[in-house]
Amino acid sequence: MHISEGVLSGPVLASGAVIAMAGTAIGLKKIDYDRIVHVAILASAFFVASLIHVNIGPASVHLILNGIVGLLLGFAAIPAILTALLLQSIFFQYGGLTALGVNVIVMAVPAVLVHYIFLPLLGKSSTLTFAAGFLAGLFSILFSSLLLGLALWFTDENFFETSLVIISAHIPVMIIEGIVTGFCVTFLLKVYPEIIPVRKK
Amino acid sequence: MKIKHTLTFALLLAIIPASYAFAHKVIIFAWVEDGYIHTESSFGSKRKAKNATITVVDEKGLIVHKGMTDPEGNYSFKIPEKVDSDLLLKLDAGTAHQAQWRIPKNELVTVHSAKDTQAAMKEKEKLEESPSVFKIITGIVIIFLLAFAVKFLKRKTAKK
Repeated sequence: MHISEGVLSGPVLASGAVIAMAGTAIGLKKIDYDRIVHVAILASAFFVASLIHVNIGPASVHLILNGIVGLLLGFAAIPAILTALLLQSIFFQYGGLTALGVNVIVMAVPAVLVHYIFLPLLGKSSTLTFAAGFLAGLFSILFSSLLLGLALWFTDENFFETSLVIISAHIPVMIIEGIVTGFCVTFLLKVYPEIIPVRKK
Repeated sequence: MKIKHTLTFALLLAIIPASYAFAHKVIIFAWVEDGYIHTESSFGSKRKAKNATITVVDEKGLIVHKGMTDPEGNYSFKIPEKVDSDLLLKLDAGTAHQAQWRIPKNELVTVHSAKDTQAAMKEKEKLEESPSVFKIITGIVIIFLLAFAVKFLKRKTAKK
């Protein structure tokens, strides 16, 4: 789902960079520095996840894991995803550096959203935890696909058609990510509950 | 704060040369042989980019040829006539997956030596290289170093 060099127009890239920078600043402010290791662990998981490929049609899709990163980190997911995407871009040529801002938004905005929607459901019961994790994984990819369609639409393409192509290409990823995220949160809650943030009241 | 700025600057300096990127590791590789331009397109070394559009443009951006890759990711076509510039082959494999390959003007007319072909094949292999374990580990180490650097800086500013 990475956007490469030369796909988007200048204004879209510039706005993407500005919004991503603002998001990163908020994220850095909101990081609980006692949980910085968790941020690093999840950023690393996101960094590696993209290397697991599934070949569908002419496109090659891969695990993204922005759902679990966002679910567990909230706003801190923005700097985590920024770092991971930057390193992916440098080391594996995944996505262009100029498109980094847009790529961060595409991945991180849904991540932050699922944090606020699904985190309160974690830990209520194991079925609900799995369901919340599954939906977080699924919706994060769905939102990301829509944002990607939007970014391409701003440039010059047909939004509806492009989004439909992107979403349909990512349906298997949505399901896989849902299952992976569901299992991960259920497992983490049992063996490493400290990584699941408790909402401050 | 000074260290943070220096670190950011150093990182930027390190990444600028790497800014040559091709879309999400989608690759197009082209060579000239017997009056034809042959292309191979893939996602990495094993996954072929089938049914992907290839648009050939000259230096002025005029489209001189258009075609589609076969199930093996290959596509060949005759060198377009009356072209007097470098050719840029753009591969579009859908959903923002794009890559390009430039064929210099002189390559369109001269006959290639075995050495040229060897060099080109080496370049192709380099493009197709899978992510190495070393790079993955380096990436993870960098993430943790950055995280600890941020924590250290935060603690320092909090003390002040």
